[in-house]
Amino acid sequence: MINKRNFRLDAALKIHLLLVDDEPDFQEIIHKRMTRMGVRLSLANCCRAALQSLETQPADVIIMDVSMPEVDGIACLKKVKQRWPMVEVIILTGHASVKSGIEGMQSGAFDYCLKPIDVLELLEKVELAAQKALINQGK
Amino acid sequence: MPPSLASRIKTLLGISTAPTLTAEELQHLFTTKYRCFRELLTANNNALEAMADLEAALHDGRTFSMGFVRSKSTVVTVNIYKMVQNLRRLADGGYANLDQSFTRIQQRIDAIIDKEITLPEGEWIIPMTGVNRSLAELTGEKMANLGEAGSLPGIEIPAGFAITSAASRQFYLDNNMYREINRIFQQTDARDMEDMLQKSQEVRQLILESSLPAELEQGLYQHFDQLAEEVGPGVKLAVRSSALGEDLARASFAGLYHTELFVERKDLLTAYKAVLASKYSPQAMSYRLAKGFRHEDIVMCVGCLAMIPATISGICYSQSLSGPPGTLDIFFADGLAKGIVDGTRKTDHSLIARQPPHALVEAASDKQRDTTILSQQQAGALAAISMRLEDHFGSPQDIEWSIDETGKIYVLQSRPISIDLFTAAGEPSPVPPDERVLLQGGVTGCRGVGSGPVTVVRTQEDMVHFPRKSVLVVEHPLPEWAPLLKRAVAMVAETGSEAGHLATLSREFGLPSLLALDQATTSLAKGEIVTVDAGNRVIYRGCIDELLEASSGTKPDNPMQGSPVQQILRDALALITPLTLTDPDSVYFRASHCTTMHDITRFCHEKSVIEMFDFGRRYRFAKGAAKRLVDNMPLEWWVINLSDGFSPAFDASAQFININDIVSSPMLALWKGMHAFPWQGPPAVSMRGMGAIVFQSAMNPALDPAVSSKLNQKNYFLVSRNYCNLSVRLGYHYAMIEAYISSLRTERYVTFRFKGGAADETRRVGRIALLDEILTRFNFRVERSGDAITARVEKRTQKFLFSRLQVLGYLTIHTRQIDMVMADDRERQRYRHKFIAEIEEMLGDDK
Repeated sequence: MINKRNFRLDAALKIHLLLVDDEPDFQEIIHKRMTRMGVRLSLANCCRAALQSLETQPADVIIMDVSMPEVDGIACLKKVKQRWPMVEVIILTGHASVKSGIEGMQSGAFDYCLKPIDVLELLEKVELAAQKALINQGK
Repeated sequence: MPPSLASRIKTLLGISTAPTLTAEELQHLFTTKYRCFRELLTANNNALEAMADLEAALHDGRTFSMGFVRSKSTVVTVNIYKMVQNLRRLADGGYANLDQSFTRIQQRIDAIIDKEITLPEGEWIIPMTGVNRSLAELTGEKMANLGEAGSLPGIEIPAGFAITSAASRQFYLDNNMYREINRIFQQTDARDMEDMLQKSQEVRQLILESSLPAELEQGLYQHFDQLAEEVGPGVKLAVRSSALGEDLARASFAGLYHTELFVERKDLLTAYKAVLASKYSPQAMSYRLAKGFRHEDIVMCVGCLAMIPATISGICYSQSLSGPPGTLDIFFADGLAKGIVDGTRKTDHSLIARQPPHALVEAASDKQRDTTILSQQQAGALAAISMRLEDHFGSPQDIEWSIDETGKIYVLQSRPISIDLFTAAGEPSPVPPDERVLLQGGVTGCRGVGSGPVTVVRTQEDMVHFPRKSVLVVEHPLPEWAPLLKRAVAMVAETGSEAGHLATLSREFGLPSLLALDQATTSLAKGEIVTVDAGNRVIYRGCIDELLEASSGTKPDNPMQGSPVQQILRDALALITPLTLTDPDSVYFRASHCTTMHDITRFCHEKSVIEMFDFGRRYRFAKGAAKRLVDNMPLEWWVINLSDGFSPAFDASAQFININDIVSSPMLALWKGMHAFPWQGPPAVSMRGMGAIVFQSAMNPALDPAVSSKLNQKNYFLVSRNYCNLSVRLGYHYAMIEAYISSLRTERYVTFRFKGGAADETRRVGRIALLDEILTRFNFRVERSGDAITARVEKRTQKFLFSRLQVLGYLTIHTRQIDMVMADDRERQRYRHKFIAEIEEMLGDDK
């Protein structure tokens, strides 16, 4: 599959990625795939952990699940964008709805990805978000 | 601060009033805008792709779920939102009306797809003595009909109570289950049987583990105790489904939900939840999918009825399915009715006259039992009850009944049946019995002929591996095999009758079915190709084409036809796919006139190109200014570098550029196609042909090359390393080619648009037909509308897309003005041959 849709990661290799999701299995899959492709990746399992992580280790692109305990992904996205407006956020959701999709985009998401995740599709979105993040930073 | 008079005059005169920015600031501004432009194009592709998926689902007649509709519509709206935002960024905040148009359309789509679930108001538990048709919204069809039947003189129903839709809705809402279940379903591949079985298990578990509202629990125990006082201690209940939307003639949901028998007080809550959970049994899930029901719209109501100590039970069809007109069917067996409806019991059948005194037309099939089980008098009484129920409900009824040890008849259920489903399949002409006959006999569940390899299904494991288009052979026609009905070409069962649930479902799906065929599972060898002629009750060895042909053309409609999910998709698509903004030159081509999502993509795409095109001029950006391309063609080509389309060695202050200094790969491919063969000039035209063209020009000034417009004075390439946009007016013609080819597969595309041209309609359409044929031949997806054509290829290998750009380059040059000769059929053929031959030669091995 990777051969069929082979593409070059470029910007994604120059950035730092943060994955915020409370499903350990999903975290593991993404972590494995991303690191194998050479992407630098941190993990957080809730909004609080994500904000803490950003304080100590800034990220350029964030992948964030909408459904998380305590603070949901959209609320967390708003907090992140308020504090770090240049960060690009890709929202993941297992429960698609037109309304929630638009709400995510209006809250400043870069893109929206539906579960079950096609890892290559997610990688492509990460590459595009990384390109934008680098432009944001004038790089 | 208001703009100064000078700046307003400058604006009126079209002179840029943008602040002077440093070279670095301009460079950054350009990079940002170019980034927006590309994001817009990517979003455009994604939106169009999702739109195409939605349209295909509606028109291909395949099955699709609500999850599919929801996901794809979300992809469409999110991407179009991105387009709007990126266009507005490109235009420095302009097109504010577009936001309003988008929001208006998006909210309407949202209202269609995520219809709010309304909570029916009313009691949570209602005794059966108080239930009638007017309460169907609360008690479900089955209990509403039963309660109504019980109110008719001479008809007895078991004592009991109904647990209403209001109760189950509250249970779902309290536990936030709609959202959680939708989340699980979005991640279910309904075509993958194993995945569906697993997700079904997950959802049922979720329901079984959730708590009922405390008030409901108390109410259930209270009603049980009241019933025990009424009927006697030791009463046991049949707890059965009565879903809203169930028991419709063409969507029977027959036997798909759970019924729990002999339920004691201590097990009441679990039994209730088990029935609620059976809404998500694999058979119910696949049935809803095939029939196009949203799971949110099916609300489970439950009937709790005192068990009848039955000596005989059965089913009556108040109008016989297979017997002569004027007769009714009675299917019966000793004990409970369950074995009859799920096809596990040997069932007897009598045909009785519909008219009193309800004479016996044909005796029970099993001569040994004769009429000892069901007396003539009982049969007559059942017939009278059936006719009374048919009269009352106004259509033929399928009635389930039991007779207790005192001889009292109880009606357990009465629902409409659809006779035409049985007769619609028609009768194939019989094939004389010959050596190909393998098995004969049984009863017809649904007429028709199917042929394929035999697959015997005994376990859930067999079900997971059931090959599509094979003949399903089972011992008992249990409702749990229902998910296979859409995959099989015919069904054969050793037991059962046409009154069983699976037989009813086979009729709804138009699947030929043969029941009560002894030894079917042992006589039919796995993998052997057979032909099942269900109407004539014969199974043949091999594939009998003449039978298949004779029965073809009687295929039933798409089971989703007219279903709620199909209607939702149809309504949503009406706001998504129609294109009403077609002409960018029209005064109606405005943000406020966008009425569909497709209009918005069209508008954004058109305006974004213009915004990018204007960039160099607006900001007097030296690097972006147009360079005249040095070439020997009698045409003016200008190139604007969007970012990295020129070689680093090129002197940015130069006014001319050589093709060697261009590094935009799509432009180079296009250029290669343009120069592959020299253009031989316009074809010779008869005086009459030329006259028509001159006349057309006089009538339509837009076709006159002497009338200037923004894009027609020069031919512009806008380029970067991976991108090229060519706007070209060759003589009378207007064409636009656009390509983005990078290592990211989802972003790659090549599009071509061609419109206008002189000459009369016949000639123009002739040229479009020629282009259509050639582009289709070279794998473009072509759309035509009058004298306009759009062709696209995307997401293919880079090599392939470059070769298609060459094709477009070639056509741009060589189809110039050929419409002058398009009225001549021979000439058109000559050009067609020439073009195809030259393109094939040009592409060599890359065809």
